[in-house]
Amino acid sequence: MLHIHFGSMEGEIYDPATYFLNQYDDEWITSDLAKEMVRDVDRSEIISSRVIDSPVLGPITPRELSGGVKTLILMAFDDSGRIFNASACGDNCAKWILEIAKTKDLTVTLHNIMKFNFSPLEIHILNTGETVHSFREYVCTAIDYV
Amino acid sequence: MKGKYHITIENRRIRYEFTIRRNITVIRGDSASGKTQLLEMIRAFNRQNGDSGVTLQCGVPCIVLDSVRWEYTLASLSQSIVFIDEGNPFVSSDEFARTVRSSDNYFVIITRDSLPNLPYSVDEIYGIRTSSKYAGLKKTYNELYRLYGNVSSGQLPLVKMAVIEDSNAGFEFFDAVLQNRLPCVSAGGKSAIPALLRKEAPDRMILMIADGAAFGAEMENIERLMEAGYKIALYLPESFEWTILSSGLVDDTETAEILAHPEDFIESTKYTSWEQFFTALLIQKTDKTYLRYSKRKLNRVYLQEKERNAILDTMSALGPLLE
Repeated sequence: MLHIHFGSMEGEIYDPATYFLNQYDDEWITSDLAKEMVRDVDRSEIISSRVIDSPVLGPITPRELSGGVKTLILMAFDDSGRIFNASACGDNCAKWILEIAKTKDLTVTLHNIMKFNFSPLEIHILNTGETVHSFREYVCTAIDYV
Repeated sequence: MKGKYHITIENRRIRYEFTIRRNITVIRGDSASGKTQLLEMIRAFNRQNGDSGVTLQCGVPCIVLDSVRWEYTLASLSQSIVFIDEGNPFVSSDEFARTVRSSDNYFVIITRDSLPNLPYSVDEIYGIRTSSKYAGLKKTYNELYRLYGNVSSGQLPLVKMAVIEDSNAGFEFFDAVLQNRLPCVSAGGKSAIPALLRKEAPDRMILMIADGAAFGAEMENIERLMEAGYKIALYLPESFEWTILSSGLVDDTETAEILAHPEDFIESTKYTSWEQFFTALLIQKTDKTYLRYSKRKLNRVYLQEKERNAILDTMSALGPLLE
């Protein structure tokens, strides 16, 4: 399930892209999930753990992936217990955050209202303790905090 | 600092081209649109100029500001365009907002945080996209595009109530001209608007009138309410004072010239937002005349037929409501 805290919270990694550079594992990069996320968000193909084919930049390493994809990979694979700032992700990452949260309890912070415009929807808002079940309910709750 | 600055940045693979018009510009949008790449290229140019392989053309220096000792770095900069990448939490701090307010630099901030401490314009919030003008070429051409438009006139006949950001002269004017058509409510400030719309807009179309020059921080939340089905029509002129100046009531060459290209007259160290500048200009231009303007209380002269109609003529987007 996805748990969101709007605003800063203790233990938050505000800048997940920098954390990723220092903590990512080669195995995360070659996973099927990472390949799909990189293909969808960055429009790039993972060739191996250290080579990615970008249509704009040419051959790149995981260090040059977008900040959004780096954060998604951390949400999926980092098991340090850190809480990542999901505002490092654009709205085009929203469906992947929900996908990751299908397989684990995922807690993130948000400093803006990410566009989780999907149905059905189930998100636990840590600020209120309530679980929202629609985009409308989610927006109406979030608006008091960001 | 004042003026507008056209910037081109390119290497062998990517070219960015855009114009910065005000002291605060915000870039946000989808992941992987090229925001960080833009900053990386400026950073490379900062380190090694042309030897970096990056070409950067702009009338003033473009500098990337990182979080380490940002206060000291910023204190050493003047008449520059300062770019700040996402991942820098200091951009939301009161201290940074204070620094920006008195700075003679322009700021381009990449962030999805709303930055409620900074009065930035809805017109200066951009995304980055690949330009269709150069589609098919080997090099990728990126440009900035405005994320937010203005009122959709098709919604206006459905409007049942107006929410006005202002609580003083601006509210008094709209309340008077709309009184026979719509109930008007003052939000008493921009930060109260999203919660007020949540309360008022679920079942009836609400027209929201706010000063676009300083409404940037609230825009994403309003957009989200609209996406969630709330019925909201937006009218976001620069400011009420800009509307009066645009009406021709203050008829002099200098005002016309300022309105044609405000960026060449608005000094960022004195005016954090264009709204403040246009208020000061209107007060100065109408002093000791029958149009004497006060933000606190509307001079009733502006509700006389000739003056009122001159102001309403500038609000063509609201046409169906004003007929």
